[in-house]
Amino acid sequence: MLRVLLVTDTAKAIGELRATLLQQDYDVLPDAVSSTALLWAVEQQRPDVVIIDTESPSRDTLEQLAVMNATAPRPVVMFTPDANQQLIRAAVGAGVTTYVVDGLAAEKLSPIIEVALVRFAEDDRLRQRLAKVEQQLSDRKLIDRAKGVLMDKRGLTEAAAYELLRTQAMKQGQKLADVARQLINMSDLLG
Amino acid sequence: MHASLPASGAPEKATLRLGFVALTDCAPLLVAQRFAASAGLELQLLRQPSWAALRDKLLSGELDAAHALYGLAYGVQLGIGGPQADMAALMTLNQNGQAITLSPALAQQLRSGQSLRQIVATSPRELVFAQTFPTGTHAMWLYYWLAAQGVHPLNDVQSVVIAPSEMSATLASGRLDGFCAGEPWHAVAAQAGAGVTWIVSSEIWPEHPEKILACRRDFAALYPNSARALIRCVLQACRWLDADSMHRAEAARMLAQPQYLNQPEALILPRLLGQFPPRTDTPEPVRFFGNGTVTYPWLSDGAWFVSQYQRWGYIKRDIEPMTIAAGINQTALYRQAAAELGIACPDGDVRQSVLMDGTHWP
Repeated sequence: MLRVLLVTDTAKAIGELRATLLQQDYDVLPDAVSSTALLWAVEQQRPDVVIIDTESPSRDTLEQLAVMNATAPRPVVMFTPDANQQLIRAAVGAGVTTYVVDGLAAEKLSPIIEVALVRFAEDDRLRQRLAKVEQQLSDRKLIDRAKGVLMDKRGLTEAAAYELLRTQAMKQGQKLADVARQLINMSDLLG
Repeated sequence: MHASLPASGAPEKATLRLGFVALTDCAPLLVAQRFAASAGLELQLLRQPSWAALRDKLLSGELDAAHALYGLAYGVQLGIGGPQADMAALMTLNQNGQAITLSPALAQQLRSGQSLRQIVATSPRELVFAQTFPTGTHAMWLYYWLAAQGVHPLNDVQSVVIAPSEMSATLASGRLDGFCAGEPWHAVAAQAGAGVTWIVSSEIWPEHPEKILACRRDFAALYPNSARALIRCVLQACRWLDADSMHRAEAARMLAQPQYLNQPEALILPRLLGQFPPRTDTPEPVRFFGNGTVTYPWLSDGAWFVSQYQRWGYIKRDIEPMTIAAGINQTALYRQAAAELGIACPDGDVRQSVLMDGTHWP
């Protein structure tokens, strides 16, 4: 069973890989929360794979181990030429660096990197979804204000005001929110 | 500031992304921002959390150039323990300014007259010494200092890397006996009572080379005007830092800011001025300019690091240190940039040094 060490000394949620890796029957060691903890963990527990944020201040500790000790985890990019390079590039792009023991077969490593990748790609999707929801919310506010302007100035009902905005947007080939923004700017100008 | 009329053409690339690590000797890059506009450059400074991250971003092109350990560029050139790439040193950023801190217990044993060799031989556990990067300058100063006392740095003690910000606490925990790093981490350990600044690096090798302005060699080849303009900005910064001790006080204030070192100015300034309490003497502190003798990318400096990698078995193949140095150190670019500022350059590329054990280099 492969022994995996997670280094959790940055804001990136490396520790959240634990549950998935455990489900897949990896032996996940207690998290290392500092470079000192990482050092003792590597010495005493001999992990096969170390997963660490590319922005972790503890990375230099692993660099030293790679130079000094043939049995220590090494940076994957250099020491496993047969590993799936595409996968590794994607993992690094997702902000995860993996150090593995020299000679660890690529097929054993790939699933671990995949877990990291799926996890952090998911994070990215969540961030994008959140940004989209926030955008929709601010669009909604703009449209409500524009409706208010129309109801006020033209004595329309809410439904009629909305319909007018929508027709205008379709005619101009613009987004509803953009038409609403123009209308609000214009009404500010006219007072 | 001094307006400088560039003799070389306009920079091919005007916005440069510069990496640095939170250490006192990144000061030249901070100050260089003041001279950037007159060189037609915009300098973006990006703090890096580790030397490994700085190296990776230099190689991927995310950073154009960086404040780097002298040995980092040489380690990458030789492919020691990591990726290999052709590297360039545009200039030296500083000499001196590093130190070795020991635990109070070890310092006490040494003061009582025991030699380090005796202490190591009779200790019930292996002594542990930390530095900052396997091929870096701190590793080499630590190894040199240990070896000069008859202690083999790789066989007789344990040599590890831990993050500089953790050095003080790890020393206090009793799991570490000493460390070699840059400032302000020795001042931090002394302040916390966790360690004693035992020897400053200018006592290991007076006027030793320390950080360089590093980039990939293809960056220097593709953007020679940008590289020269960058050297000019940093040269002016180095000259300014050495011109007046008031400038160093100003630099300490800048360095203390949260986006740079995020450490108290009171810990940064004394060591920029050569004060290492409780010592009452003033060993030679960091130097940035020395009328152009500090900043010159001496080939003999670079070759020394190769010789140490050979000494410690990092490289087994037969290579000529001076040849490696001649590939990395961009003496021609440097000379052109220095000439544009009227800064003197030495006649040759080799300087003579004498290290703590009496060894002459080269």
